Amino acid sequence: MPESRTFRLQRAMASLILDDEPEDFGAPAERLGLPASDQQAFRDQPEAMDLYRELARLSLVEPLETTFPVLKALLEDAGAWESCVQAFLSARRVRSTHYRDLAPSFLGWLADTGWGQERWPFLLELAHAELLEVLVARFPEGDPAQDLHDEPGPEDVVWFDPGTQVVAYAHAVHRATEAAPVPEARPTHLLAFRDAEGEARVLELTAATAALLVQARTRPLAESAAALGFADPAPALALLRDLREQGAVLGFRSPH
Amino acid sequence: MAQGRSPGSFQGVGLGLRRAHLDEVAAREDHGVPFWETCPENLIGDGGRHHRLACAILDRDPVLTHGLAISLGGFDPWDGDYLRELDRFLVRTGTPWHSEHLCFTGVDGSCLHELLPLPFTRAAARHTIARAKDLQARLSVPLLLENITYYAHLGEREMDEAAFISEVLEGADVGWLLDVNNVYVNALNFGFDPKAWLARMPLDRVAQIHIAGHKKFGSITVDTHGADVIAPVIELMQWTLARLGRPVPVLLERDNHIPDFGDLLAERVRIQAAYDAALSPAEAEAAPAEAVRA
Repeated sequence: MPESRTFRLQRAMASLILDDEPEDFGAPAERLGLPASDQQAFRDQPEAMDLYRELARLSLVEPLETTFPVLKALLEDAGAWESCVQAFLSARRVRSTHYRDLAPSFLGWLADTGWGQERWPFLLELAHAELLEVLVARFPEGDPAQDLHDEPGPEDVVWFDPGTQVVAYAHAVHRATEAAPVPEARPTHLLAFRDAEGEARVLELTAATAALLVQARTRPLAESAAALGFADPAPALALLRDLREQGAVLGFRSPH
Repeated sequence: MAQGRSPGSFQGVGLGLRRAHLDEVAAREDHGVPFWETCPENLIGDGGRHHRLACAILDRDPVLTHGLAISLGGFDPWDGDYLRELDRFLVRTGTPWHSEHLCFTGVDGSCLHELLPLPFTRAAARHTIARAKDLQARLSVPLLLENITYYAHLGEREMDEAAFISEVLEGADVGWLLDVNNVYVNALNFGFDPKAWLARMPLDRVAQIHIAGHKKFGSITVDTHGADVIAPVIELMQWTLARLGRPVPVLLERDNHIPDFGDLLAERVRIQAAYDAALSPAEAEAAPAEAVRA
């Protein structure tokens, strides 16, 4: 079935907003085979078309600027922020009707395309780290956990808040700032969680502690600690108690 | 969980529930706001502290729901999972209706997050009517459609905006969320008399009114929701209410340059006073004469 005129008009408007700025506002309509009168309507309203392009792009780009200030600073220093945003918009990767999904869509596009990562190998990690706190703070609540206790025992597994994330990076991206956006290259392990007030917090972990937290989700604590070569599990247990008080851990549960 | 509330129980001037005010609204049951309006897209699937606060307020206070990104006049298939979630949300809030914009917001699966104008053509009207009927069939509460601001005609038009909106509202047999600021802004941009425009419209379908501020950029006035409501727009709201002769709820929209909660409450009280005056018996008697002048 041929595409309707209404549909092609909408496509022309989307192209006018998302693609490189055309020299002629009627060009997308012409390319889509719309009648000359429709093409002319686009050409006859240049200020309004400019306004639509500006308004729509503002609403699409604002969450990126808010969520990724360090990435933006890095790319602006190199004169590449605008081209990055344009490549993202041209890719038509904003598929969700939830406005909060815009920044995750951008991260997904960076991951899928590898944009800029030849020049900046840490770019994806940097963007991920900037989004991490937002995702953790807004992670949907799960059903209330049952049969949890407060004191960790050797046979227990750890029950995290659904928003808690343990992440590993090859760069210290959490230390990067807008003034110094290039992170040091060193293995980095972070625990991101929301505290009792619901605010996102990030703690840096040792590699061993990070591994313990990951393993102990499904494997008894004593077994996890032994497998990872912890000579003395007491510091790890103290950390877990502390994380439970801070809200990252909901409690501990016997596997049986 | 809120119980369904009758449409008639929504009167006066409400406010949009904004993230910046959640703590204060949750802490103050004496805020005096008769109802809140909330956007389901911003709450469904979200989590965290602000989400909990918003849900607690919506479970406590009367609420109307207002969608932003369904792309009513678009061509992308509905997201069935989202619509089921949406309907559960509408039932949970007890809203007497759900409103969406008469526009498109996405193309080819790509969401533009902007309210974009539909072509004022018979084909676009038929398409939008079919979509509105289909959407209505999937929701447990009546659907309202809102007139948007538009800054350009999308392609060559076959009718004017008033005829297009009327055709869609009547054809889909849905209610109207009348945004008087959008009428006023469109009147400025396209050079028509807003009261004469309204006099042509099916006002019997109006179930709710929106009011907001706007700002001029270059030669175009933009519906910014970022400034206080100016007197001519308040007067247009009063003229409309008097003509309707019934206390439909008015929602004061403020999405940009959001003031402190106290200042926004004061702005609401100012609009509420104008609302009450418009519906007073003396004003109601004056309304027919005003209508004749239009």
